[in-house]
Parts: sequence; C-alpha cells; structure tokens
Amino acid sequence: MPDPHLRLAVDIGGTFVDAMELNTRTNEVRFRKASTTPARPWEGVLNAIEALGTDLSQVELFIHGTTLGLNAVLERRGEPTGIITNDGFRDIFLIGRGNVPADHMYDFQYQRPESLVQRRYTAGVTGRLDYKGRVVEELDPASVRAAARTLVEEQGVKSIAICFLHSFLDPAHERAAAELIREAYPEVSLSVSTDIVREYREYERTSTTVLEAYIRPIFERYVDHLEAGLAERGFAGRFLIMRSGGGSMTSTVAKTSPTHTVLSGPAGGIVGAAYLAETLGRDNLLTFDIGGTSLDACVIERGDPVAAYEAQLEHFPLLIPAYDIRTIGAGGGSIAWLDRELLKVGPQSAGADPGPVCYGRGGTRPTVTDAAVALGYVDPDRFLGGEMGLQAEAARRALDEQIAQPLGLTPVAAAAGIFDVLLAKTVGAVRQITVERGHDPRVFSLLAFGGAGPLLAPLLAREMGIREVVVPYAPSGFSAWGMLSADIVNDFSRTVLANLDDIDLDDLAGRFAEAEQEAVASLGNQGVPAEEAILERQLELRYLGQEHSMIVSVGRVLDPAAIRASFEELHRARYGHAMENQLQILNLRVRGIGRTTRPELASLPAGDGDPKRALLAHRDAYDFGTREVVPFAVYDRATLAPGDTFTGPALIDEGTSTTVVPSGQRVEVDQHGYLLVTLVGEAS
Amino acid sequence: MTTLDGATVEVVRSYLLSAAEEMRATLIRTSFNPVIYEVHDFGMSMYDADLRLIAEATGLTFFLGANDFSLRKGVEYVGRENLHRGDVVLLNYPYWNAAHSYDATLFAPVFQPDPADESADGTLVGFLCVRAHWMDLGAKDPGYVLDSTDMHQEGLIFPGTKVVSRGEPVREIHELIRFNSRMPNEVLGDLHAQIAALRTGERRFLEILEKFGRPTVDAAVGRIIADGEARARAALAELPQGSWTAEDWLDDDGITEDPVRMRVTVTIADGTFTVDFAGSAPATAGPINMPFGATEAICKVVLKSLTSADQPSNEGTVAPLVVRAEPGSLFHAVYPQPTFTLWTGIVAFELILKALAQGMPERLPASSGGDVPGFMMVGTHPDTGQLFAVSNNDPVGWGGTARHDGMNSASHVSGNTGRITPVEVLEARTGMFFERVEIRTDSGGPGRFRGGAGL
Repeated sequence: MPDPHLRLAVDIGGTFVDAMELNTRTNEVRFRKASTTPARPWEGVLNAIEALGTDLSQVELFIHGTTLGLNAVLERRGEPTGIITNDGFRDIFLIGRGNVPADHMYDFQYQRPESLVQRRYTAGVTGRLDYKGRVVEELDPASVRAAARTLVEEQGVKSIAICFLHSFLDPAHERAAAELIREAYPEVSLSVSTDIVREYREYERTSTTVLEAYIRPIFERYVDHLEAGLAERGFAGRFLIMRSGGGSMTSTVAKTSPTHTVLSGPAGGIVGAAYLAETLGRDNLLTFDIGGTSLDACVIERGDPVAAYEAQLEHFPLLIPAYDIRTIGAGGGSIAWLDRELLKVGPQSAGADPGPVCYGRGGTRPTVTDAAVALGYVDPDRFLGGEMGLQAEAARRALDEQIAQPLGLTPVAAAAGIFDVLLAKTVGAVRQITVERGHDPRVFSLLAFGGAGPLLAPLLAREMGIREVVVPYAPSGFSAWGMLSADIVNDFSRTVLANLDDIDLDDLAGRFAEAEQEAVASLGNQGVPAEEAILERQLELRYLGQEHSMIVSVGRVLDPAAIRASFEELHRARYGHAMENQLQILNLRVRGIGRTTRPELASLPAGDGDPKRALLAHRDAYDFGTREVVPFAVYDRATLAPGDTFTGPALIDEGTSTTVVPSGQRVEVDQHGYLLVTLVGEAS
Repeated sequence: MTTLDGATVEVVRSYLLSAAEEMRATLIRTSFNPVIYEVHDFGMSMYDADLRLIAEATGLTFFLGANDFSLRKGVEYVGRENLHRGDVVLLNYPYWNAAHSYDATLFAPVFQPDPADESADGTLVGFLCVRAHWMDLGAKDPGYVLDSTDMHQEGLIFPGTKVVSRGEPVREIHELIRFNSRMPNEVLGDLHAQIAALRTGERRFLEILEKFGRPTVDAAVGRIIADGEARARAALAELPQGSWTAEDWLDDDGITEDPVRMRVTVTIADGTFTVDFAGSAPATAGPINMPFGATEAICKVVLKSLTSADQPSNEGTVAPLVVRAEPGSLFHAVYPQPTFTLWTGIVAFELILKALAQGMPERLPASSGGDVPGFMMVGTHPDTGQLFAVSNNDPVGWGGTARHDGMNSASHVSGNTGRITPVEVLEARTGMFFERVEIRTDSGGPGRFRGGAGL
C-alpha cells in the first residue's frame, strides 16, 4: 500500500459543492462539482468526493470550507442561546449600537431581524470591573448560579454566552462564572467572550460570543457527521477547516471555535490568490470572484490580502479577523429588471433554483447568465461539460420581452446593457476598495475566478485600465484549489489603549509574550511543533482622537521610533499626509502560523506557439471593444499550451467557465497554463 | 439634448453614487471627531451647475436635506463670479446654513479645465457639499449651548468664507479658527478631513465627465432627476389626499419654564405636499428656534420616506414639497434669534407624522419615545486631568405600526443611522461609572401591536 499522497479540498458554496484533488507526486489537479444538499450538508460533500472518485484512504490531508455556521444564523437554526452578563446590562445585545442599517434610513417602520436571543434568555449577575480592570464589586457565585438556573431550567437554553464589561482587561470573572455554570449544568454549551477575543467594546464582544454560542452545537454535530462519513470511506489523514481570516484549523479546534469559520466562504480563493501573488510574482492583485449570487473582491497588497479585524454577519458585528472583502449582490443569477424604464441588475437573484431562464428549471426572469447566452458567450451545448443543455432560445425570449422591447432596444443591445449596468456597479466597488487604501486600481492585476469571473474580468480591466487579468486553471473551483495551500493559522489579540510614548515597553513585551504562548500552545494542539511555529507580531495604532486604526508589523525588539515611522509611512500611503499627534496603541495582535507544504504549480510543456490546435470554431458574439456583433474565435482551454498568444475577439471555453476577450485585448498562455489577458499595447 | 437608454442612465448613476460614497469614506477615515466617525453626524452631496442635487452619500437624513438650502444661500452670498477652481467655502451662519452654528458646511465649485487654457478656471460643472458637526467654535459655553439668547453667543460665524482659495489654504482663516476654538486640533482636523472629502469628490466628478462626456452626463442627470420627480409625484398621487393638523408642545425653551406650542398642517393635494407651521409659537427667547432651511430639511425627510424611501435622493424626489413658516416664528428663525438647540426639529418631525397618520394610519408608525435623549458631558478626567467632552444619543422606543410592534430601544427616527457609544469607551474616556443601561420593561405602551420599549 503506497503512502497517502493525495490532498483533497472541498468547498461548499450556495449552489455547488466543489471538490479539488491534488496529487502531490505528480502535481496533477482534478476538479468536480456536485449539488449542495442543504438539509444534510455533509452528504453533498461526500457526493462531490464520490463524483471525483478519490480514494479516501490515499488522502493525507482533507481541507474543508463550509458556510454551515453562516447559514445556521441566516436561517435561525441555532440552539436556544442565553446571555449572562453584568447586572444592569442584560440588554446589551438586544440594543446593539441603536442604529438602523444605512439602507433602511428612510424606513420609519423598520424592524430588526429576529434576534438570536430572546430577552427572557438574558440575565445579569453581581460583579463588576471598572475601565482599568479593577474590581469594583466581587463576582457573586450565588447570583451566577441563580441566573444559570433561570436560563437553563426555566427557559430551556442549551447554550450560554458569557460576556462582562471590561473583561478584556481581566477575564477572571468570566472564567469563574463559566466554571460555576459548568459545574451545575455540564450539558450546556458555554462560550466565554475572552476565550474568543480580548478586545474592547461590549456590544461587539457580546455579539461575537453570542454567535459562537448559537452555532457551536450545530457545527459540532456537522463536523461529527462528516468525520464519521469520511472515516467510513477509509479516510485516516488530517482534517482541516478553513478560517474566515485565512489559514485553517483542525476540525477539533473548529468545533470549539466555529465563529472563525462563518465568513470562510470566500477565504479559500483569497488564500489561493495570496499564494499566486507570490509564485507568479504579482505583488498587487485584486481578486474578482463572481458566483451565482454575488461578486466578492479583495485587495492583495504587497503579497498580503487586506485583513479586517471586525466583520459583520447580517447586522451582527464579529470581532474576528477576516479578509476585507467587498461584496456586491451581482452574480450570474442576478435578475435584470426594469424600474420605470431604468435598467436594474440585482440584488435579487434567481439563485440555483429556479436559476436563470436558460437552465430550464422554471426560471422566468432574465439574469446575467441569460444575458451572457444572448451575447453569444456561452455555448449552450458545452455548458458544464455538456451535462446541462442550456435553453438559449428561452433566455433570448425572456430578455426580449421583459427588457429589450420596453426599452426599445434589440435583445443583444439589452443584454449588453445588463453587462454595462453590472460593470458600472462593479467598477464602483473595486474603486472603493483600492482607493480607500490609497492605491490606483490600475497598478493591480485582476485575478478572475468563480464561474462568472472570467466572463466579466477582461471587460472590467478594459473599463478601469487595469493592465492584466490572470485566469487560473479551473476558475470555478479556484476557491477549493486555494484551500490546498492554506497554512494552520491562529490569531490572538489584547486591547492595550495606551499612548506609544508613555507605554511601559517591558509590559507590552510581556503581553506579546503571553499572546504568543497561547498561539504556540494552540498550534501545538494542532500538530505544529513549537520550533516550527511562525509568530507574527502586529500593533494596531491610531492618532490619538481618531477612530480608524492601522496595523503595523513589529519585530522582536519594540522600538517606539521605528513603530512610529512605520505607522507614518502607512498613513502617508493611505491618506497622503502624516501628523505630529500622539499615537495610541489600540490592540496588539499575534498570528501563529504552521506552514503546510504548498502545492507546486505544475509547469506544462510549451507548445508550438500556434493556438490553432485549440481552435474549436468561430461563433458570433457581442464585442464590447467595438460594440457590435462580430465573429469570435473559440478556443478549447484544455488544448491551449504555454507560449500560445492570440488577440480578441476570442472566447476560451473550459466547460465550467468561459473567458471572454474583447477586441483590443490579448491573451498569453503562461507556463502553468494560466491565461494572461492584457490590453493591446500594454503587454505585461 | 442627448437621449439615453435606461441602461446608460443607470451606468452614470452608479458612477455618481460611487463618487459620493468615496467622499464619505474619505471623511470618516480622516476625521478627528468622534461625532463624525462614531455617530456619523454628517451629510455629503453632489450638485450640477444649476445647484440641483444629483447624488448623496449615506448620512444623517436631516443634514442631507439641509445641504441643498445652504449651498444655494452660500453661492448667492459669495457670487458665482467670485468662485474659482480650487476654492472651498465655509458656511455656518445659521439662517443660511439650515442648521446651528456648529454644523459646518463646506462647499466647493467643480470646474472642468479648458485643455486650451489650463490656467483658466474652465467651465463650472457642479458643486460638492460636505456638512459635519464640529466640536467647538468658541460659543459661550464649552460643549453645547443650552441657553443662548442670540446668535452671537453661539460661536464664530462664517457667512460663506473661503478656507481654500484657488487651491491654496487661506492661512488667516485657519488661524482665526485656531484662536477661537476651545478644541482647535479637532476642529482643524475635521476641516481638513472635509476638504479631503471635497477633493476626492472633485477628482471623481471630473473623471466621470471625462469618461462619458458632458452631454451624456447632463442627459443622464436630467433623466435621474426627472425620474425622481415622476416617482415622487406618482407615489404622492397614491396617498390619501386631504389636509390634517396636529399640535404638540415642547417642554420649554431653555430660558423660561413655559411650554412652547408647535402646530402643523399637512396637505396632500394637486400633486403637492404642503407642510404649514402656521399657528406655532413665535420664536422663543431661548435657542430652540429652527432656521427655515432646517425646517425644510425635516419636511424633505418625511416626504421622501412616504414616496421614495428606497431610492437615492435627488432634486426630483422632493420637487412636490412646499413648506411654509412665518419669518420670526419657531420654525423660521431670523437674525439674531438663537438656534443652537434646534432639536425642535426632532420633535416636529414626529409631529408631521402624527398629522399625516390621521389620514393614513396604516402607513405610519405611532409616535416614538418622541425625542433624542442626548447627554453631553464636559469635565476633567480623573486619571489624566485633561478636559474631555463626550456626547451620546440614547435610544428610544419606536412607535407601534399597523403591522408589527415598534422597535425596542433604537436611535430616534430623526438620526436613525447614528450609533450609541459603548459603555466601555464612555467609562474609559471620562472616568464615569454606569450603573445600568437596560431596556425599560413595558415602557412602550400596550396595544395589538405595542410600542417599542425605551431605555
């Protein structure tokens, strides 16, 4: 029996489960899709593996990305969850920050979405710290027991979130309360705020804790089911789960901190993009991931994806590291509609069911995918490898009747208009994420993936003057591929709130060391030996008086002058100026990393440079370069070879996605078989 | 005039809205003032050369409605002929600014340079406006003024004064502000943040003109405004037609103990939405009076919520509005009547809803907690001995509706995107100790759909 030599990544999206297999001996990659199975989500995972035909006994590493936690919240399927907090503050979670979401600012009958916690499931206990972490009132064990008794015995909660004011300065009261509750009710799931995050702001910390408490039991059951299913099929390797802020963690750790998984859906693609930024030598990359319902874009700056330390789920804040991803409700399934003769695209989506009109599953409203069919970009007979015949005529008819005729346009002009409107929204979103960080979007390469990414990316590049689009192998499964390169990662933080000039450096070093010990211990539990643990130190700083902070990497020696210089450099890059004001340290952050062996990008043999071998046909399609219908050369991606170059108008078909290259743009196939699309005259 | 299809109009609209959002991001990220960056107490908007609103970014609804008024007054005062490329003008004279003196409106003309003569101003193509609450401009008391009896006790006044002239900061004005403010660093920091937001907007505005060409942008703007108006008028026609009056009282004016009468009559007829404050008290001795522009702004919010709540605002969306208030009355203060605590507008806003609800009970909520219970504190921090000033607007219960309970403890409808400050932040910043912050059980009023409980 040979050693296990396969790695398997499985990513559950809204519509499909993607499975990607890497053979570490040959660097060969195989990819398949299966439908999601929302009622029993682990079955979709096992189905996808079966479709791929992977022998699980040969798999050394299984990496999984799941939106299960996210869906549990969106669909309110979590466990009955209670909150124990300080007396007088039981409503922190229900009040939040009081604000109505900006998109409802004119709605005077607004209602908050159904809460995750009923008010009767909240209780206050005696015990209080002040803003310096000093005990104002000792924790009263009797009040903790009484609160737990009410919540568990009278209200029947199954999971409890514990969060006290100022606990980030001293977790002792929270830990003591947890211990008391655990003694009395060992069957109740407990989530303690300072175990998850040690940062200030009570609503945000409570919300983070509540989300964990809410999804933890359901997540644990899911992982158990999947572990059992994999084991039955012979799997004996390591099981990792993707984290929202990059990297992965073992399934055992994930069961106790599922919050870190909730926004991991798009993370695989970004981890993969960071890896490509390094291997392809493209330091500044913009990810451009379009699936069925949404478009996700993220900036990779000097090789690192832009991180955010506060995320949102619905309107609930989460103090977890995540990627700073801009999402707009525009995907292949987004519905085009007329609002008083103005053309709108999305945010409503036809989703997977009924899906676009051309799927022939009962969808009647034209979508972006239908527009792509009408523009001639998608070959109805080759879509998804021909497994799903597309009803092009029905798509055209829906576009004609619902959009083109009322606007007095031809069906093709209407379809082009749908792309124009979608692109304009996209340009806005992409501009924001780059300009907010002080960059000109034109210095980036655009990495296109997701089923519809390559359909739109060259057009976006044209619109924004972006010099290069990179289309990886199997773009619709790129997220799963990206997971194959995920390290084991953990993050620890401490709120500091002190001025850089006044801080006791030994004390700061001590707090770093404490967070690092936690990081090393956690990595150790996940099989990473201490000597292999990589530790990154960062400080989150701001000018005293400002709200928004920036992250600066710091070395082992803490030198205030050097820290200030790094901050000022970043501030100048972002805002064009630096100031003389005091700097305040908000949080310190430690990221622990255990490197996994990265998959190597297979280098393919060069061809003869003549792409004719891959030319399938010529087909009429709409060219955004000239704004008319012209013949496009259609190439088969599988038979293109490194060194091939050709110019648009061209379509590159690979079954699960199509790259559309308008006139005025040029394609080069690189040594890995990746497509590089540039503006003619600006070859990279 | 170029005619456009419905796709091109939407494309141009996306670009304009994105420019406004970029201005907003610039302000939030560079401001020094928690009222801006935590409470999001600002409003920014874009106008065409005819001063018609074409796009706005998310912000406080009252601020947004007020910008249109201020810009008109500001341009009138300075004179179009005196505006040049690179100018930024500051306006806080309450009667023109449609707000009290600490809401500083900065506006900038946008000129498209003439390629043949780069040094000339070029063509005036539009205006940008950013309003934000400043921390201190040297009024009689630090923080907020609660008992001023004329405008001159309410801080330094700028009637439309260039703070940047042809791209160069006007040092004398910046120094004047520095020497007149109790918190000069914060105020000048915010001034710079607002200028940065205007510059961002200017760059983007010009790029949009470059990309699409002025005829296309003009045609799209025309369509956007015409569409806004058509929508508003169509929605107005769907509402019950009629005239309804409501009355309410303010507790006092901050000087005397006498209650102050507010009265409004709202009339929907013949395609117009008329809000008439006849019968309200004369302007008071204390600072609760409303500049007329501020009165107009609250009426705009009500009209918009009824007719185009889910649409981006523009000149057209408020075209059917007519507002009347006698000069010298509570809702139309004139020089030198004091206006600092113009939160009368918050209560009056609900009064308008109360009048309307008589004619359309299913469309409007019942009255809420009624006011923004804001607290402000100025003091010395026990640890550092340094002066602090904090403010926080506590949430209130929202009124029940015809379909569901009112929301518990949320920011008042007049500033509903504003956020409260965390207890952990307030305690650390001030040394105060909070004993209790809880929803007040059963405070909302019973009913089939009960009112939301307050704090």
